[in-house]
Amino acid sequence: MKINRRQTLGFLGATAATSLILPRRLMAQGARRSVTIAVQKISNNNTLDNWHEQSNVGERIFYPNFWEGLIGRDWMGNQGPVPELATEWKRIDDKTIEFKLRQGVKFHNGDEMTAEDVAFSFSDERLFAGTEPVGGTTLYAENFKPNTDKELPASIPGTARRLWPALRGVEVVDRYTVRFHNATPDVTLEGRFFAAGPQITSKRAWDEAKSYAEWARQPVTTGAYMVEEYKPDVSLTLVAHDEYWGGRPPLERIRFVEVPEVASRVNGLLSGEYDFACDLPPDQIGAIANTQGLEVQSSTIWNHRVMVFNTQNETVANPLVRRAMTHAIDRQAIVEALWAGETVVPKGLQFDSYGASNMLIEDWNVPEYNPELARGLLRQAGYKGDPIPYVLLNNYYTNQTATGQVVTEMWQQAGLNVEIQMKENWSQIFAETGRGVRDWSASNLINDPVTPMVNQFGPNGQAQQNREYANQELNQLSVVLETSTDHETRRKAFRRMLEIAEREDPLYTLLHQNAVFTGMKSELNWKAAPAFAMDFRGDNWNA
Amino acid sequence: MLRHILSRLVRSFLTLMLVMTFAFLVLRLSGDPALILLGPDAPQDAINAFRERWGLNDPIWKQYLAYLVQLLTLEFGVSMRDQVPALDLVLSRIPATLAITLPALLLKVGLGIPAGVYAALHRQSIADRGVITLSILGFTVPSFVLGLLLVLVFAVQLGWLPSGGQEGVEHALLPILTLSVGGIGIMARFARSAMIEVLGQPYIRTAMAKGLSWRSVVWKHALPNAAVPIVTLLGFMIGSLIAGAAVVESIFSWPGVGRLIVTAVANRDLAVVQALLLVIASSMIVANFLVDLAYGLLDPRLRSRRAAH
Repeated sequence: MKINRRQTLGFLGATAATSLILPRRLMAQGARRSVTIAVQKISNNNTLDNWHEQSNVGERIFYPNFWEGLIGRDWMGNQGPVPELATEWKRIDDKTIEFKLRQGVKFHNGDEMTAEDVAFSFSDERLFAGTEPVGGTTLYAENFKPNTDKELPASIPGTARRLWPALRGVEVVDRYTVRFHNATPDVTLEGRFFAAGPQITSKRAWDEAKSYAEWARQPVTTGAYMVEEYKPDVSLTLVAHDEYWGGRPPLERIRFVEVPEVASRVNGLLSGEYDFACDLPPDQIGAIANTQGLEVQSSTIWNHRVMVFNTQNETVANPLVRRAMTHAIDRQAIVEALWAGETVVPKGLQFDSYGASNMLIEDWNVPEYNPELARGLLRQAGYKGDPIPYVLLNNYYTNQTATGQVVTEMWQQAGLNVEIQMKENWSQIFAETGRGVRDWSASNLINDPVTPMVNQFGPNGQAQQNREYANQELNQLSVVLETSTDHETRRKAFRRMLEIAEREDPLYTLLHQNAVFTGMKSELNWKAAPAFAMDFRGDNWNA
Repeated sequence: MLRHILSRLVRSFLTLMLVMTFAFLVLRLSGDPALILLGPDAPQDAINAFRERWGLNDPIWKQYLAYLVQLLTLEFGVSMRDQVPALDLVLSRIPATLAITLPALLLKVGLGIPAGVYAALHRQSIADRGVITLSILGFTVPSFVLGLLLVLVFAVQLGWLPSGGQEGVEHALLPILTLSVGGIGIMARFARSAMIEVLGQPYIRTAMAKGLSWRSVVWKHALPNAAVPIVTLLGFMIGSLIAGAAVVESIFSWPGVGRLIVTAVANRDLAVVQALLLVIASSMIVANFLVDLAYGLLDPRLRSRRAAH
């Protein structure tokens, strides 16, 4: 067929017109969608360093799309371990684990991940800053001599040593094999690898960054998405890492925008600007769920709301008073009234994840709601109505103020004279040494009862470090839970710790499991994980 | 005149020192940045190391002295939260804030003053009553209510404008409108009452009696005299250009100085608060100074009084 000049011009014109009509993104072969997510806060300390930003908001922007570890978490499943940057691992002995690294994994800068990067990610330069492991000395330091003099944020070594108290060092066996050496036997070592922090970063990218601050605004990792632009307090744009070992990511871009006001996040979702609106309080569920094209996904997360007693207060020092306080709370009523029934009252300070390691004490439960029993305990204690100060922050936790008011009312009905004192920040909470009770939350980090029972309430946990409580037996059992390698011994120790901390000599009282609510466009066909983390990898997009 | 300026400068310096001392005491005594920044779950070792790194274990007087030295050497230190120089952080936020506060100021002046003057010149008319009603409405509706209302109408219902963010000119429209409405109302009321007062003065009657046209009486005699209280208000508005938009910035997710103030104070990030206060207090002092100079230009009596001194 012959094509004349007129036909050629017509064809070119039609092509040009088409290019004007069709959006460019749809013309590109295999064009992918981008999403915008409105969050209350992107990062509390304006860095993307997962050791520095150890928070719920950090979990959301980091996992599982950005930071990856040797062992990953099954975010959409039972939260258990799954192979990620390591394909297999085995115990050499009760202090040593060997990992075979996944081959061909590319960092965002195009480098292949090797054992050197893994060793660096657990080095003095990156984490420990010369702090020595408990029960031993550093090993294999020569594998990761500092090349730069970057100043780590002061809090990082302490945070790293909390998760790795006894890690002596990482041995590079060959390009794709590493061994982790612990100073003490630890049955929970594997679990520590999929907590927040021990994920892998590129050594070269660290070395090339001019300062820690520069590196921490754009860490180079292996995740499905990489940092395109980070404007602290404004937005974080992640763009697809097409060389991702797990296949081509389904989204072109993920854009987190910081919208501090909940009404503004909801309005932006209603107007269609945002695809997701996070950090919604339960009272916003109806407004969004009743709008056509939108839905709310609720997920209980691995974090329980608790109230911590302070035995320095003379009245609260009496365990009978504390026991009365634990029996005077109708937890289910709180869940129904303030959480629209979208969360649960768990079996004491336990998480479903403990089931995987057979550490869940099935027949354990929170103290029964029994105001009569509470009154009887107060009579036994000889309580004369002395005021008990309850220091309260203004909604640091979702529904915190309302919950505090409801619980105080319940306590008063049982005859307890609890007085709320509003405080502005945590420093003011701890400065009030005469406080009787305060709020807190307890997180499960590693699928084992050592978190949170030991790391938050044990001898080195914050409650005891702040001298709110001390119990010799509980502290001895903490050591057993941390170091024993015998399963039955550990299980018994944990049960006894629950008996002490929740019944005999209450340390805290549990209220409910925490939950998060995410408003979204229904068309997206995306599922929320039971966590703050938002999974935008292939398996969870148009699943 | 030089003496007057010098005395103003000394007073400004003292004001600044008082502001900074007050800020230090209030912030430092009402919260430990280590606990606030690291949160309630941070390990004790991390909290201790943080305190050590930032000198928070030193006695309070020693911390105050170090703070004063920093201040006097214009060395603002590093943000505990962002690990970048505090002054850079503050300066980086100023353009965003000015991008909404300057147009809002122009609207306040451009609409508020003419509306007030027009109302004064047409006293008791429907236009006058309209201006009074609208101005009362304007400055009595809180900005957080107005902002959300505008978002509901223009973003959610009509879909004409974005509900927040800072990406283009269209993102700035609702914040500018929210910021300007109250100010237009206040400016209109000030201009109206100033004009009414001036129009009742004997020199206006004299000017009229001399046979001057109404237009020339208004422009040459009434407006310059009515300008003195308006300039005072304008000075306050100019002084608030940098720090006066915290609520609106939060509602519209606008990353300006106002939001930085909120987070820096909440986190007790002293270096940033210090740099912020210095910039804000300086802008307020400069605005007052300009107002003082403007008084001299507008009112010859003040000029001659200063010269006599």
